[in-house]
This record gives sequence, C-alpha cells and structure tokens, in this order.
Amino acid sequence: MSASRVGTGGAATNLGIEPAVLVEIYRQMSRIRAVDKRIQAGLSAGQFLFSYWPMTGQESIPATLSQLINKRDYMVTTYRGIHDQVAKGVSLEGLFCEALGRIDGVNKGKGGSPHISDPSSGSMLTTAIVGGGAPIANGLALAAQLRAEDRITIVNFGDGATSIGAVHEAMNLAGVWKLPMIFLCQNNQIGEYTKIPGYTAAKDFASRAAGYGFKGVRLDANDVPAFYQAMKTVVEAIRRGEGPIFVEAVTQRLGPHAGVGDSHELSAEELKAAKEAWPVPTVRTLLLEAAVCTEQQLAEIDEAARAEVEQAITKALAGKATPKEEMLLDVYADPSVPPRRGHYPRRESEAVPTGPTKTMLMLEAVRDGQDLALAQDKGVFLLGEDIGDPPGGLFATSKGLQNKYGPARVRPTPIAETAIIGAGIGASLVGMRPVAEIMFNDFAGVCLDQIFNHAAKQRYMSGAATHVPMTIRMMVGGGIGGFGAQHSQSLEAWLLHTPGLKVTFPSTPFDAKGLLLSCIFDDDPCVQLESIKLLRGVRGEVPLADYRIPLGVAKVRREGSDISAITYGWQVPECLAAAEELQKEGISLEVIDLRTLVPLDYHRVLESVKKTRRALVVHAATEFCGFGGELASTISEELFSTLKAPVARLGADYAPIAYCREIETNQIPQAKSIAARVREVLAFKE
Amino acid sequence: MPTQLTIPRLEMAMTEGVLAEWLVADGAQVNEGDPIYTIETGKAVQEIQAPASGRLMQRAQAGETYPVGTDIGEIA
Repeated sequence: MSASRVGTGGAATNLGIEPAVLVEIYRQMSRIRAVDKRIQAGLSAGQFLFSYWPMTGQESIPATLSQLINKRDYMVTTYRGIHDQVAKGVSLEGLFCEALGRIDGVNKGKGGSPHISDPSSGSMLTTAIVGGGAPIANGLALAAQLRAEDRITIVNFGDGATSIGAVHEAMNLAGVWKLPMIFLCQNNQIGEYTKIPGYTAAKDFASRAAGYGFKGVRLDANDVPAFYQAMKTVVEAIRRGEGPIFVEAVTQRLGPHAGVGDSHELSAEELKAAKEAWPVPTVRTLLLEAAVCTEQQLAEIDEAARAEVEQAITKALAGKATPKEEMLLDVYADPSVPPRRGHYPRRESEAVPTGPTKTMLMLEAVRDGQDLALAQDKGVFLLGEDIGDPPGGLFATSKGLQNKYGPARVRPTPIAETAIIGAGIGASLVGMRPVAEIMFNDFAGVCLDQIFNHAAKQRYMSGAATHVPMTIRMMVGGGIGGFGAQHSQSLEAWLLHTPGLKVTFPSTPFDAKGLLLSCIFDDDPCVQLESIKLLRGVRGEVPLADYRIPLGVAKVRREGSDISAITYGWQVPECLAAAEELQKEGISLEVIDLRTLVPLDYHRVLESVKKTRRALVVHAATEFCGFGGELASTISEELFSTLKAPVARLGADYAPIAYCREIETNQIPQAKSIAARVREVLAFKE
Repeated sequence: MPTQLTIPRLEMAMTEGVLAEWLVADGAQVNEGDPIYTIETGKAVQEIQAPASGRLMQRAQAGETYPVGTDIGEIA
C-alpha cells in the first residue's frame, strides 16, 4: 500500500489495510448492525414474532470476507447466519419478507430466517441443524472442481458445530478430494448455552485440520485489518487450487443463543470487555482517528443502512402472508406427487422398448443403467464406498465404470455416509446429477439427517429456489440369511414418512434399470432400494437402449380374481410363488408390484381390489407401523362397502432380523406364510 | 401510522410475560430507543425500548401476566 493511494490523512498509512477496503467492510458491518438492531427492536416491541438467533459481535467476519469473494462463490451458513446473508448480497427485502413468512420472501416464506437459499447471490443453503451444512458445502465445492470453475465455497458454522460428526466427515472428505473451500468456524466462544471449555477440552479448533491433512489457521476476527490480510491469503491459496483451509475466526457473541438483548452466559465484566473489543464501534473509531472518514461520512453510511432496512421491513410488514394454497406446492416439482386422500391420479405406463436385449442379472441391469447415464450426461457422477475398480462396488453394480469413465466421475469415498449424501446434495444443488451408493439400507441411520432434513426438504424450504436432483441407491438385505440384524432390514417406511423423497423398489432387472434411469434424470431426490437377494439372484431380458419407467406406475405381475396381493421388491417373487401354490387349491391370487412407493399408484391398487374384493399387503419390513398399514387403511376407506373381508397385512415379526437362518426365514414373509395368510383372508365369514 | 406494542417473545420457550412496570407515563412523548416498560420472564427482567418516536398510549395494567402477542399499547 502506498501513501499516495490513501488520499486522506497520514495516519491511514498505518492501518494495515487499504482505507477504501476498510470503509467497505465498515459499510457491510453497518448494514448488518442495522438489520440486527431493527429485528431486535421489532421483536422487543412485539411488532412481529419469529425465532431469532442474534449474531451480534460476529459482523466483521462476513463483512471482511465480502471484500474477497463475489456472488459466483458459493456459501452455506447456519440459522445464526443473517450477517452472512446480508454481506453475501441477499436482498434485505427478500430476507425480511422471508423472516415474516411472506410470499415475496426469497423462499416464498416456506423456509423462514433459518433456511435462506438465494442462488442469485451465491447463498446456496442455510441449515438449522448444527454442522449439517459442511457435507453439503463439500458437494458445492466438488461441483466447481469437476466443472473447473473459478469458484470457492465457504461453509460457516459456529464453534459448537466442531463437536458434531458431520463436520468431521466433511473435513476428512474435503482433505482427500482437495476441495476448494473454507471451513469457516465462527468461534463466538459459546455453543448455544454452553461456554468453552464446557464442551471441549481442545485448546483451539484450527489445529483439528492437521488431523485431516490440511491447513488450519486461528485468526482474531476483531482485529479487522489483520483478519482481512490473513483471509486474503487464505482465499488466494484456495483459488490457486491448494485445497481446503480451516479458519477459526475468533470473536465473541454478545447476545443470547436465541431471542433478544445481551448474552445470559457472559458475566457483566466479560460483556463489558467484549463490547469494548466489538469491531462495529472499534472500526468506526479507527476510520475516524485515521482520518479516513469524517463523522458525517460515517453517519451517512449508517443512515443509508438504516433507511435500506426500514424500506425492506416496511415492504415485508405490508406483504402478503404465504397462503395455505401453497402447502403442497414445492414438495416435489410435480404437485400431483404428494399422496392425498381421494386423489389417485392414473399415470401412463412405460412404452415397451424395442431393439436388442440381453439376459442380465439385476446387478448388471443396475450397472447398465448407470453406464448409460454417465455416457449421456456429464453432470452424472457416482460416489460411494468401494465403487471404484476393483471391486466396482460390494455388489459389483459399478464394476468397470471407473475404468471407463475415470476416477473423477466414479468416486470411491471414505466410509462416511453423511459425507457421501452431503456431497451428493451439494453437487445436485447446482445442477449435477449424482448417484450415491449406500452399501446397506441399514446405514441410513448414519446419514439420516442429510437425507431427511436436507435432501428431502430443500426444494420446499427454499420455495423451489433450489432443488436436489440426486439419486441414492441403497442395498437391502433379507432373505439370504446370515447378514444379521444390522444388514438385513427393510427401512422404506422411514423414507416414505418424510415428504420430499421419491422411493423405488424394483423386483426385476428390467425395472431396476428403467426405474434407476428415471430416478437419475428426475428433478427430485430419489432413493432406489435394491434387494441383494434379487441383485445376485434374478436374471431377465433387459433392453440395451435407454428406457425410463415412469415413477408411480404399478404393474400387475399375475392376474387373479379372488384376492389382490399388493407388494414390492423381493417379496414379489415370494407372492408369485405363493400364487402358484394357491392355484393348485383353486385360489386365484392377483399380484400387484408397486415398483414405486412414492409417488404411489393407488389408482391401479384400487382398480385391482375393486375387481377381487379382497386385499393382502405383503412386505419384508416389520409389519407393525409398516407401509402395509397405510395401504390397508386407504383400501379399507375407499372400498369398505365392496370388500368381502378386512384388508390384511403380512410383514416381518416384531423383532430384529436374526442371524440364524431358521428364525430369519420364519420372521420374514415367504411363499408358504403368504399362502397361509391368503387362506385366512378367504376363510373370513361375516 | 401508529406502532402497536405487543408482549414480545424474548426467548424461544416464552409463552407469557409479566408487564412489570411502565417506565413512561400514559400519554407522554417518547423517542425511539427510550426504555418504555420492563417485562419479566422466567429468565430475567428486561427493559423494552420504544420501537418508534411519538406519544405512548398504554392499554394494559402493569403487574399483570399477559400471553405473548397481547396488545398492550401503541406509539402514535
């Protein structure tokens, strides 16, 4: 910096930062302060009501960063992130409308202040789950890396988030893949209501990065000129492609965890000291003392910020509340997908593909579907544990694909399901179509937050400003014996109970490929459940061409007249075997294969039961509170007067799946027990 | 346009509060930022500042407990 560039006053040469930059940082801090002050005033007066997590004291962090990044750079932040949104360039009008639940909010009032997504400013996702943003930020950084774009990703989180697994999984993956991103830990010294060292014995957080093979720096965010210079070095290194950097930006939160006013956690002395070190007033004083700005110039900056906020809040207060008619919109791209009582749309069945076919195992059909998707769309990539060559996936569903498409597009991962799903979510937020493999359905438990709170809800929470076109393939045990209680479960009910996901569960190689291709090119998050028993045990003719089976179309596998068995996945062949056995007794069983569980084809289910007037729902999942209860209940409500017997269910007995074969084969439905249950239904007399 | 005063939600779990004391007389002129009343919650006693400048009209008795959102006055 040369004195000639300063232009005002000699003292400015000692600032350690270009005066014009410091003014811009102050301008952003002033805007953030005006927003914070106005929200607290409105909440205190009861002028409006919403949940607020004040970030008072942390203004300098995003204000400084705003001078080093632009709107092309991606940002992820947390519910205590309004300062990050303001500095990133989210419009204050959109922000206040959102916080007040208005239709003109940046996310139609459906996300609210803790769930801002504004792709136009690069603010991609805001999570209210502590630490939940870091795995998703990985995916954003990965997309930029794969596309060779000049963008960095910043994931903001508090010191409290350094305790949670998602952040550690994300850091490890970012290190392995050298992702262009900043893990920006805003260390405000308090994790919600618990101060350091109440929740950690660590002396600092920056040194954790070394454990994952990359650089960590601890910076005083209250010393703005020095913080700016250090952050400049960080940003430049990442732009040069040197991989991730962890920044521990040390500051002090002045407010409570939630609500308004001063911190309840700090003593009077601590609060006084913190306020003296608070960069909003200290930078203002610095600008005055260094004669960079006059009092009048600073007052003008503050007044402009106040006026901008007032205009935004006036607009928001007068804005239209988001109406109830919006309720089922943005759950999926297609508003007919959410199940609704009395609405059973008929979706067209697939056209039968012509052209050459090949006999394939189901695992080969899945591989073929992934191969075709990778070949036709550069945005498609695969990620999961051990999916590279060799072995090409534990069940060989990606065998040969890494050799064919390279390690950038077929990406083996650490054993870290939260990181796998998060990376998929992040990349799909910016239009890629990742296919993530989760080795066993049972491992849903270690990545549930990413699936349920992020992938499923992002379209809705963002008012469709963003969506998550990713596919998750999960292998499902059961029926093969010896896998034990943690590798044999059918957990589809967990997925179905969460609005926002689509779920397929094929029973044939033909369906496995056609449904998977539909999932990959669908604009909503899809989970395909693939039975291990069928992957390795069922062969069928599969067209070599690309074909899509529309989601939400069931198929009659066997026509019958006495009773309809409604089933899916590996219970389809069991029901067909039961039908053969029952045929010998003169009982005619119709077998309906749902193929897709959401969207659900109630139309074809009800048509079948109208004809047979009896129904049995069969699944491998635990019967109690299983998907069968939902199906049986709807069939009963719609067709009560025509039914000859109560709608019956058959699922697994209420016990963990046993390791020993004799118990497993007896606790999960199989042809014999299905046939026996059918006989019970037929024996019903009014 | 008058600014309504209602019992605020100062903490996530707050459902009601005690309007402990009016710090400004009914009908008095206040400036934005002046402390105008105190409220007691389970956690603390807090001074509430005027969200706007104008004449304060009280519409609720001090010493009573009110649910969050209750209209207690206005500044006009």
